[in-house]
Amino acid sequence: MKLHILHIYPNEMNTYGDRGNLLTLVKRAEWHGLEPVVHYYSAGDEFPEDVDIVLGGGGQDSAQDDIQADILKIGDKLKALVNQGVPMLMVCGTYQLFGNRFVTLDGKEIKGIGIFDAETIGGPNRLIGNVEVKTLDFGVLYGFENHSGKTFLGKNQKPLGTVARGAGNNGDDKTEGARTMNAIGTYCHGPLLPNNPALADGIIRLALSNKNAEFDLKPIDDTLADHSRQNAAHRKY
Amino acid sequence: MPGLVVETLIPGYLGKMLGQLKDGVVVITGTNGKTTTTKMVVELLQQSGKKVLTNPTGSNLTRGIISSVSQQATAGGRLPFDIAVFELDEAYARQFTDVVKPRFVLGLNASRDQLDRFGEVDTVARLIAETMLSAIDGIIVNADDKRLSAAVGSSEIPLSYFGVKPELLKFFPRDDEIVSVSGKETTLQAAKVPLSVELTAFEGDKATYRIGKQSYDAVLSVTGQHNLQNAAAALALVRTILPDADTGKLVRELALVKPAFGRGQSFTLKNGTNLQLNLVKNPASFRQGLASYVCENAEVMIAINDRVADSRDMSWLWDIDFSTLKGQGVKLTTGTRAIDMALRLQYDDIHVEKVEPNMEKAIKQFVQAKNDKVVFASYTAMLSLHALLSKEAGKRL
Repeated sequence: MKLHILHIYPNEMNTYGDRGNLLTLVKRAEWHGLEPVVHYYSAGDEFPEDVDIVLGGGGQDSAQDDIQADILKIGDKLKALVNQGVPMLMVCGTYQLFGNRFVTLDGKEIKGIGIFDAETIGGPNRLIGNVEVKTLDFGVLYGFENHSGKTFLGKNQKPLGTVARGAGNNGDDKTEGARTMNAIGTYCHGPLLPNNPALADGIIRLALSNKNAEFDLKPIDDTLADHSRQNAAHRKY
Repeated sequence: MPGLVVETLIPGYLGKMLGQLKDGVVVITGTNGKTTTTKMVVELLQQSGKKVLTNPTGSNLTRGIISSVSQQATAGGRLPFDIAVFELDEAYARQFTDVVKPRFVLGLNASRDQLDRFGEVDTVARLIAETMLSAIDGIIVNADDKRLSAAVGSSEIPLSYFGVKPELLKFFPRDDEIVSVSGKETTLQAAKVPLSVELTAFEGDKATYRIGKQSYDAVLSVTGQHNLQNAAAALALVRTILPDADTGKLVRELALVKPAFGRGQSFTLKNGTNLQLNLVKNPASFRQGLASYVCENAEVMIAINDRVADSRDMSWLWDIDFSTLKGQGVKLTTGTRAIDMALRLQYDDIHVEKVEPNMEKAIKQFVQAKNDKVVFASYTAMLSLHALLSKEAGKRL
């Protein structure tokens, strides 16, 4: 069975190894017995028809400027996919652009597409370090954050989880990330998916359930990821 | 730390001491290749009869420079050298150039590196550009690194460029190409400028450089493709410092420069096999290492730590394509992040024989292997392995 994975702005928004999320979904889909098909969307491209999962990575501040106009053009398409329950994982820079707006340190406003009721304010210091996030749906997530923007969620916006270690959205309210339907926003690099196979498989299962497909996922040996997670749980820094 | 003591006790010490040097101060900075390039420049200047002060490998912070200056000064406060050549850490170069204005600065490249320290690549490039712009008499810059060449292109300071022939650029990918996923052409193009030194051809460690209208061949003692580019940088810098030097002689002497500490350095082991130790600091240097040193029969070990000097964040391992290791697999992964490294390789379908986080145990097993060996190690892992191997090796080459 085909699984269409769309990676948005792969070159513009691709810092901190976030391509590892794509690699993880592709390989796990293969190992589970599925047929992953990767689509890339860059500014100005035609938006693909078949989309089961959408991924977006972190970017430099300069890149965020570059794609701002373009992401507003595809905002409605992305919203429609969110409303159909398509799972998405937006990391760092794309997470910020999925919010309502991003106000940079020098006061410039970058408008987002409003999938998350969230607002990001540029800060003078970067929040950098290992992160542990407790979530209801995907268990404990381990990642690495590196951001200067502080994100604040609207009253009714669900976070992805709460931080047990690290700053998360803003360093103040213990929330990390956001979730609307099956769209997830997060500050966790690391990259996130290889270290958190439950989330990777959760995303794959959500995509399959949207296709009303009965499919038995073949099991994967996650011994290494389990070890890496045990180490992460005990890491002192 | 003597450097720190002097700095606190005598402000202006460094400026006063280095101000004595008749040929001034030269700074080499950039993400990758600083140590090897500095070694090349120092040796070429020495061969031309200059007395050269330099900082010991890796001590590339101001403090390390003050230490070497105070250790080398005479009791009367004189520095018995003609010229100083320092490699400077891109994040700390500013501290130094605020007190000492270099005559020449060489900017090698800007690449994603320790982003947990720098934030983003643009920041890395900005820091390197600031250092280059502190030069008084000349900037030498990599024409193929768009971020760097654009940052200094409109400066009033005399510029000279080194680079590689456009057809060879694919062997020397810039930062954005290293992580480009959709195979699209990069938007970053090389500067179209006349080059002081151009790498026009290479095969293994044999390189051809075009300098002026002449071509020069050299078989370098340093290994690795990236060092062919570093050698072009070293030649361009030395030609700027010594405009009257005999170019043919410089190229011949360059060929004799041996690899720097842990940068492609070879060890002969007790069982007669050879082991090559390679520092990998970021996606660019790891990729260059894989392209240069992986061959069919070599056994491979990868040692990754996550101390501050290595990068706390393991994300960088996912910006590297390891598929060249598919054939032979990896014998061992070691270091504080041995498991994370093995997990990374799992997703490139590369077989890892053993995960052994303890480096001493890992190297003991690894040296037993019958074939020649290659080790890729992050910074602090390289230091530990270098110490262990120096004990283990019968004779260091």
